[in-house]
Amino acid sequence: MSYVLAKSQNDDIHKAGECGGAVTSILKYLLDEGIVDGVLAISPCDDVYDGVPTFVTDSEDLIKTAGSYHCAPTMIGDLVQKYFFDKKVAVTAKPCDMRAIEELITRHKIKRDNIYVIGLNCGGTVSPVSGRKMIDLFYEADPDDVISEEIDKGQFIIELADGSEEAVKIHDLENEGYGRRTNCQRCDVKIPRKANLACGNWGAEDGWTFIEINDEKGQELIDGAKKAGILETKTPAQGAIDGRAKVEGIMIKMANKVQNAVYPTVSEMDEWSRCISCYACRDVCPICWCFENCELNKPYFKDETNIPPTPIAFQGVRLSHMSFSCVDCGQCDDVCPMDIPVSLIFDKLQKKYFNRTGYVAGVSDDIKPPLYSPEKTEL
Amino acid sequence: MLEIKHTLCPSCSVGCGINVVLNEGEVVGTFPYKRHPVNAGKNCLNGRNSIDCYLNKFENVDEDALIGDIKKELQSADSSNVTVICSGNNTIEETEVIKEFAESNGFNIGFYADNLKNYDEVASYDDVENAQKVFVIGDLLYENPLIGRRVVHAKQNGAKIFAFVKAESSVTSNIADECFNASVGEFLDACKGEVDENSVVIFNQVDDADDLAKIEALNCKILPVFSKSNTKGALNILDAKSKDEMFELLDNTKVLLVFNDDIVDELEFDFSKISKIISFAPCANKTTEISDIVVPIKTWLEKDGSFVNAMGETQTFNAAIESDVLSEIEVIEKLNG
Repeated sequence: MSYVLAKSQNDDIHKAGECGGAVTSILKYLLDEGIVDGVLAISPCDDVYDGVPTFVTDSEDLIKTAGSYHCAPTMIGDLVQKYFFDKKVAVTAKPCDMRAIEELITRHKIKRDNIYVIGLNCGGTVSPVSGRKMIDLFYEADPDDVISEEIDKGQFIIELADGSEEAVKIHDLENEGYGRRTNCQRCDVKIPRKANLACGNWGAEDGWTFIEINDEKGQELIDGAKKAGILETKTPAQGAIDGRAKVEGIMIKMANKVQNAVYPTVSEMDEWSRCISCYACRDVCPICWCFENCELNKPYFKDETNIPPTPIAFQGVRLSHMSFSCVDCGQCDDVCPMDIPVSLIFDKLQKKYFNRTGYVAGVSDDIKPPLYSPEKTEL
Repeated sequence: MLEIKHTLCPSCSVGCGINVVLNEGEVVGTFPYKRHPVNAGKNCLNGRNSIDCYLNKFENVDEDALIGDIKKELQSADSSNVTVICSGNNTIEETEVIKEFAESNGFNIGFYADNLKNYDEVASYDDVENAQKVFVIGDLLYENPLIGRRVVHAKQNGAKIFAFVKAESSVTSNIADECFNASVGEFLDACKGEVDENSVVIFNQVDDADDLAKIEALNCKILPVFSKSNTKGALNILDAKSKDEMFELLDNTKVLLVFNDDIVDELEFDFSKISKIISFAPCANKTTEISDIVVPIKTWLEKDGSFVNAMGETQTFNAAIESDVLSEIEVIEKLNG
């Protein structure tokens, strides 16, 4: 592992990027050199709250993916496995995206050699609809006037079209039921160290991206982009490295506080009686890859007269199949039409599994999925 | 080339947003549209399966030959015996053109809106969430989950929930404070004293006209939820017929033109009494199965248009994928040509 500060040598990208445009420049290098067939990244569709995974094959189009979008709680792991299995692609990935990709690599659903992952440090994401409502309620601004947003120094900061900024403490927003998604609040993986590179502004000087180089492939990307004349780098001062570590530490500490909260048991939660068996949670889960072969599609599990299903008959099956690999991306919560906090129990079980085995889904170095690792079969 | 495009869910009148995934120019799946204000990326199973209509669409046919056959049929028919079926599956733009087509040719129009009718003033989804009491008729949480979610929010905000659901157990009853299953009329009579100006009545099926009249007489906001995406929009253009009125109309019909609807599945009528049934549909349904002529038309994914959702908000959408197949409007242009 090593660190560099980097910035784009391309003026347009430098200006459009969140902190120096290094990520976009590295992606441009990959496309221009023909190293990848395309880039999967997030770009805003209708506005800054509407981040949509976008596949780019012409590097001129990469500029629209520049910048950070905290109101775009997307998941790309399943897109990569479904549509890019045999393609060389580069992706930008939050820690939960990276963890999903890693779990899918161990299941041979993504080929490690085919993918370049430019990781993005993440303090958490905000759901777009509640994010707009939050800005309406807690800021002196019209949500439509926001041109960019940022999470920095414990605040959710918005920038308006007139250049002004407003900030509110995330802690205060979350106390009122807004702010980051609940899974993001308890997430303690803030830097995607399984990615080839982990990029962000923590510890960076203005106009520079702080990059953690995690492996040889990552080093080759930095060297190649520099050689191609699109990236400038310098060594960060020790103070910058320490500053970044401090931010990460604070974020993890915040997460741990939420993790230590006492969750009600399933039988104590009314939410499960709202389940309509629509399988949205299963279908969106990046770790659930069985699709039409899913056990839950078998006739003995199809009982439409029993709605809501007893939690153990539906989620119990999913829990036993994949909770050990839950990456706490919160997609199941996001898509549940009945607002059932599904990820709560999956993440809880993953953490119990971690306590027994030390395995953190998508972070630990096991080459096989949980329950397939020889050292865990005894469990 | 992977693309993710915004569109609207066509599976009921709630008006949810949904993203479709295209790979190499083909529709391959759906993806949560989290920015959409109605559903925030949440879709029910019907919504996520709505692309099945595109995936199972009719193969291309010689449309001109079929249109020629239909023209001959219409020319030889007495226009008073020709009925055009319009539905909430048609966009606003299509409904207007279908209405004009029927009226200019002297054909009857049959428009069935779940045996419900139009109301100028309806509750918004925010009204539901902020109501102090919510009266639910039908298993809304299961049948229209993204409205059901608003009822859940109302409960979380402290509202009292009253529900009428025919089934003995249901998801809607699970969240209700008081539940009834005898009849809608009995439910309304029992709850009448509870209803006030801070209440909302939501319903997706009321069979009896007297019960509808009781709902209208209540001193509160109401929200009818229709089974089709643009029934509310079509109701702004056409008068809906009741089930009995539809049966009467069909009894006097010799040629039936069905524009993107499955009237056979909806109404228990002996359609064999009708001499000629002509369907304009994107994919197979019970009506196309018994039709004499079936003209393939565009699915909603292949056209631009607008729907009016249950709370009366007009929502526009653009084609997610190009297609050479005719739309309802193009069919009518050819029939008029």
